[in-house]
Amino acid sequence: MNNLKKIVIDPITRIEGHLRIEVEIDENNVVREAWASGQLFRGIETILKGRDPRDAGLIAQRICGVCTNVHYRASISAVEDAYGITIPSNAEIVRNLVTLSLFVQDHIVHYYHLHSLDFVDITAALKADCKMASVESEQWSEHPYRNSLDHLESVQEKLSNFVKAGRLGLFANGYWGHAAYRLTPEQNLIHMNHYLEALRVQREISAAIAIFAGKTPHPQNLVVGGVTSVADILNPQRLNDFMFIIKDVRDFVERAYIPDLKMIVSAYRESIKAGEGRASGNFMCCGGYRFGKDSLLFESGVIHGHNFDEVASFDPSKITEEASRSWYENDAPLSPYEGDTTPFYTDLNPDGTLKSEGKYSWVKAPRYDGDVMEVGPLARMIVGYVKQSPTIRPYVERFMDSAKMELIDFSTSVGRNAARAVEAQICCDYLFDMMSDLIENIKYYDEETWTKYVFESLPKEARGAGIFEVPRGVLSHFVRIEDARIANYQAVVPTTWNASPKDARNVRGAYEEALIGITLADPSAPLEVLRAIHSFDPCLACAVHVIDTKGRELSHYKIMNSCSL
Amino acid sequence: MRIVIVGGGIVAAYMANALSEQAPEHDVVIVTKEPYPPYDRIHLCALVNQTATIEQIALPLPPKTRVELNSEVTHIDTEAKRVYTASAMISYDVLIIATGSKPRTLFDTRGISNAVTFRSAADSDCIAKCMEGKNVVMMGVGPIGLELLDTLATMNGPAKIYLISRGSHLYDKAMTPEAVALMKRIYEASDPRVEIILEDEIVERKVENGEITRIVLKSRTIDNPFLIFGVGIAPSVDCAKSSVACDRGILVDAHMRTSDPYIYAVGEAAQMPDGYIAGRVKECTLQADAAIASILGREHEGFREFVTIDGLKVGSFLLSDVTSTAYEPGNADNEEIVISSRSENRIDQYILNNEHLVRFIGINSNIDALALKRMMESAQKVDPGYFYANRLISERGKLICSCTGSYEHDLIDLIRENCVEDFAGLKPYSEAGRVCGRCKKDVMQLIADTPVDPAEAAHMRAEREAKAKEAELAKVRERIEKYNRLHPANQLSPENFEEALESFEMSREYNRWVSMVTASMHLHPDYEESVKEAVTQLNKIPIIWLELADCTGNSEGFIKSSHPKVDDLILKYISLDYHELLMAGSGDQSEAVLESVINNDSGNYILIVEGAVPLGLDGKFLRIGPKGETGLELLRRVAAKAAAVMAVGSCAFDGGVVAAEPNPTGAVGVSEALGRKDIINLPGCPVNPINIVGTLLHYIMFDEFPKLDAKNRPEWAYGFRVHDNCERRGHYELGEFVKEWGDEGAKKGWCLFEMGCKGPYADLNCSLVKFNDGTSWPVQAGHGCFACGQGKIAFDLYANHRKLPEKEHE
Repeated sequence: MNNLKKIVIDPITRIEGHLRIEVEIDENNVVREAWASGQLFRGIETILKGRDPRDAGLIAQRICGVCTNVHYRASISAVEDAYGITIPSNAEIVRNLVTLSLFVQDHIVHYYHLHSLDFVDITAALKADCKMASVESEQWSEHPYRNSLDHLESVQEKLSNFVKAGRLGLFANGYWGHAAYRLTPEQNLIHMNHYLEALRVQREISAAIAIFAGKTPHPQNLVVGGVTSVADILNPQRLNDFMFIIKDVRDFVERAYIPDLKMIVSAYRESIKAGEGRASGNFMCCGGYRFGKDSLLFESGVIHGHNFDEVASFDPSKITEEASRSWYENDAPLSPYEGDTTPFYTDLNPDGTLKSEGKYSWVKAPRYDGDVMEVGPLARMIVGYVKQSPTIRPYVERFMDSAKMELIDFSTSVGRNAARAVEAQICCDYLFDMMSDLIENIKYYDEETWTKYVFESLPKEARGAGIFEVPRGVLSHFVRIEDARIANYQAVVPTTWNASPKDARNVRGAYEEALIGITLADPSAPLEVLRAIHSFDPCLACAVHVIDTKGRELSHYKIMNSCSL
Repeated sequence: MRIVIVGGGIVAAYMANALSEQAPEHDVVIVTKEPYPPYDRIHLCALVNQTATIEQIALPLPPKTRVELNSEVTHIDTEAKRVYTASAMISYDVLIIATGSKPRTLFDTRGISNAVTFRSAADSDCIAKCMEGKNVVMMGVGPIGLELLDTLATMNGPAKIYLISRGSHLYDKAMTPEAVALMKRIYEASDPRVEIILEDEIVERKVENGEITRIVLKSRTIDNPFLIFGVGIAPSVDCAKSSVACDRGILVDAHMRTSDPYIYAVGEAAQMPDGYIAGRVKECTLQADAAIASILGREHEGFREFVTIDGLKVGSFLLSDVTSTAYEPGNADNEEIVISSRSENRIDQYILNNEHLVRFIGINSNIDALALKRMMESAQKVDPGYFYANRLISERGKLICSCTGSYEHDLIDLIRENCVEDFAGLKPYSEAGRVCGRCKKDVMQLIADTPVDPAEAAHMRAEREAKAKEAELAKVRERIEKYNRLHPANQLSPENFEEALESFEMSREYNRWVSMVTASMHLHPDYEESVKEAVTQLNKIPIIWLELADCTGNSEGFIKSSHPKVDDLILKYISLDYHELLMAGSGDQSEAVLESVINNDSGNYILIVEGAVPLGLDGKFLRIGPKGETGLELLRRVAAKAAAVMAVGSCAFDGGVVAAEPNPTGAVGVSEALGRKDIINLPGCPVNPINIVGTLLHYIMFDEFPKLDAKNRPEWAYGFRVHDNCERRGHYELGEFVKEWGDEGAKKGWCLFEMGCKGPYADLNCSLVKFNDGTSWPVQAGHGCFACGQGKIAFDLYANHRKLPEKEHE
């Protein structure tokens, strides 16, 4: 063990937030141990205490500017749950339209702008033969997205001018020429073409979100009891605009995003078969998003150790959080509702590295029935597939057939991206079903967007939770109200699960586990580590904010049945 | 809320008007003991000689304002928040005491018919009616007395007019004997009835049937007198004495707050912490501004004393007086310089203290009073030669209006250029004559005396505009050249010139963007060429974007930029060298980029910071980079060599939501963390990307940042109130409000004020530029604004759906 060498990667870029990864490699450059550490603490939950419960949404929303509307929604829903307020169907649908559009927007930005440069070498794209690239596109899609020779030439020229003009800006000092890149110059060019197109697409879908949500990031359209954008909802032109944008976006997902992932799966099959980036295989989903007549977009369930024959039902009361390796005072595993999590910062080593034997992260270690869990699109696709979900399984099967994959292959760095792309495709399609539901309501004169209540006559003491599947996994907000004020607030977010540090038994979190066994081609440029970490789509601002919950009675929280969401 | 103003003077009228303009939703009640609504006390003399009626000098009031006449407030119940008069009780939410001052007399004049003070319309009336055939004796030589003396000399009524001073001065003790002699001479020469008696006083008086029939001075006896007292004033605080802390006046802080949180005092009745009591209209209105800002919960630095300019135009001489805040009358180190001219009846008297000018009193002076004011404000040491050299300088003519700083020739130019034919016609161009009103007559005279010709006016206008445009364009060109000179590393070089030009393809879309940016920065279309040039330069400016205690919302917003499109933005227009969210390299690779920009582009790169700076736990709530630098350390290091630092988003502005109560990590904004005042702030949660791009462009074009407001925010983006430009403003004016989420008003897009929209408190251009390619904004989405750009206060006070409770306006 003496010849283990430590590598510190900080900052991990192309993610939301401040994440550090430290790995130890052996003489063969194989990762033997890993530590993931959240490096920022803000304390949003402390700020929420003592406020009017109706105001929680606008503050909780600021937990994250990337998955921005899900915290807003979960927070408002938690308060509605506490007061037993059921929102009108129109409000539910509009909230779903906005959230699922965010899924698509978030997945596209994540794959192309935050992640693809781990697979795509931009400099190699300059050497591509545009004609060959145009022909190659046909191999991955029947109707490839913007693959005309003219267009590809103009993209190549644009990149070439940019490179020749001097400053490389964002692309300076990337991992260009790294031995772990596998795409041909033509494939690189096809990807870079879509990188640029995706910048436009994510902007357009953001405009779709803004139609019902006012703006994004940080939308402003929710209130306890419903949504505010009734004028937009009743405006046929706005509904039409929304659908046409989604239609264009679906076009991009089907003709660019999905084919690109097929290409990546094929080019990086070696990495998939080696199981690069595979974590422990424990998956957790809470399910959700109703539409039509009792159809459900996502299934709930828990899978252990890649055992696809058995899906346990999801029971939120089995969740505990512990802080034996996190910078908080109480080490013992407790229900998150009982956690006493006053900051207890033990600093870094004098040389700036993590104290790898002690506390080392602002992220706590959540466990389900004592086990580490992975959440996110991969978990949703696998649970949906195994549970024979009519909304999920056909899409996953179709992808597996055309990309020649087995189910276990999804549980890798590359596979997580394939699962995410399939999920984006599903969201695009079912957005139309949800929009139809909305149109049906309006057609029969249901214009309700808010459930009336008189705040003063609501209970002064109450508690409730908002639990949702969001782009990165299971998100839950808990609120306890006393004397009509927030007495306690708690958010357990997807990245808390995935970026978990080790626990008292020294069991690694999902990020950490995924890194073990990866071989680095060049330890000074640890591209393979980034690939594994990015495949989870880290969002650290969300993960690090848990503090000071004194609510010992919180185990009485009535957790909403996730299926009813 | 209901705002009650006690007192019916100029201040009351000013405040009623200002409140109606700034916050029309509040009710204003003026309670005055006078029988008339507020009138302009400055023109009392016109009532004496009956050149004007009380209606003519009445001050305009907003129609909504209620005025209670003949109501002297006797008592204030601060518990119940009510004021009592002899016959009524009035409740208030906020009370403003503007009772002014009461004149002193030398003896008790109650029950005496021929001894009055000179303070109110009733006094003027009495003087006009009762002095007929009498020997008028004016006690006191202050400015008001001198003005009244001048007025009386034009009237037939008085048999004799005596002005009596206990000392040896006129106007002010500081006046030199020469000046006193000159003024005495001028007054007495103008009318044989006038006599000015110095160093004298009343030693005895004879009263019969409620009338003084004789007074005995040290030097003489005067029969059949009519006495007018002008011996000074004292703050009128009777009604407030038992309710709030008083000294000479009602004690207030810089925001004019008294010891009671719901009571303000303004004007001559108020005493500032240093003992200062305002005396001039201008000072009183500035105090009123401070009070209003505080009442409405807006930021204001509070009232501060300032260099004052006063003028007195009587008969054949013009007196001007410039007084520094540093002036102390009795200071032993005061020195005087007097320049006088017999032939012009001119005296320039300068009072210096340790080589600093502290006061100037001029009679028929030509010197530029504004220049002296600036000299005092800058506290520069003076060269006495300046005074002599400039004694005759009057290029711009006399200073007509000291409040607006308008000189005679400037006004004449304005009048000619704009064909101004009457006083009302001048308003769009100048406020001269409208602030304290003292010079209104002179301005009217000037308008009457200046012939106008429309053809000439048009010619003059065109000429001036052309000149101004040429001058500005020259400035723009000069700055771009200067930029190239100062940033040689960023010049296009012969080797890459061709390629670089190609990469800046001048497509149609690009031209559209240039036009859009030009327009949104409020520049004339003529600037488009300059904007284009700046855009090509922009690509060469290295940018470091640091994320501190943030949520990445501003970066996410930035990549949604649509003008220009974000791909063009990062490939063509800016060199975004370090941006954690988007850059290719991580860890060592990204650190190397950071180091390289800091070292190779030292002094040239722009630093954009997103997120708050946590100071708690020695800054260790945030650590970045392989060495575990704290956010603060990293910020300091990168900011030190940046050409400029921009704080984007509300967190970087003042801590934003991260610093909201109880601020668990001790977060502050960038400016506070660095202890620097030159940080450009672009608050918003998140900031609209157009405000980042526009501000960068301005920097490139002019080699300096756009004009900033008091909070260092670019005025072109933050100089608007969301409420003022709101698409729903019409409904506000019509009183059409959404009362409940999803109600009929909500479906029709009515005003959201009743649902807690904080647009009236938000300085931002959201209502003009909207978000996500102009798709919508929070008010359009029916939610309302919560003034997210105001920083942390938004998250403590505004982020809710309730109207601000009135107590929080303080």
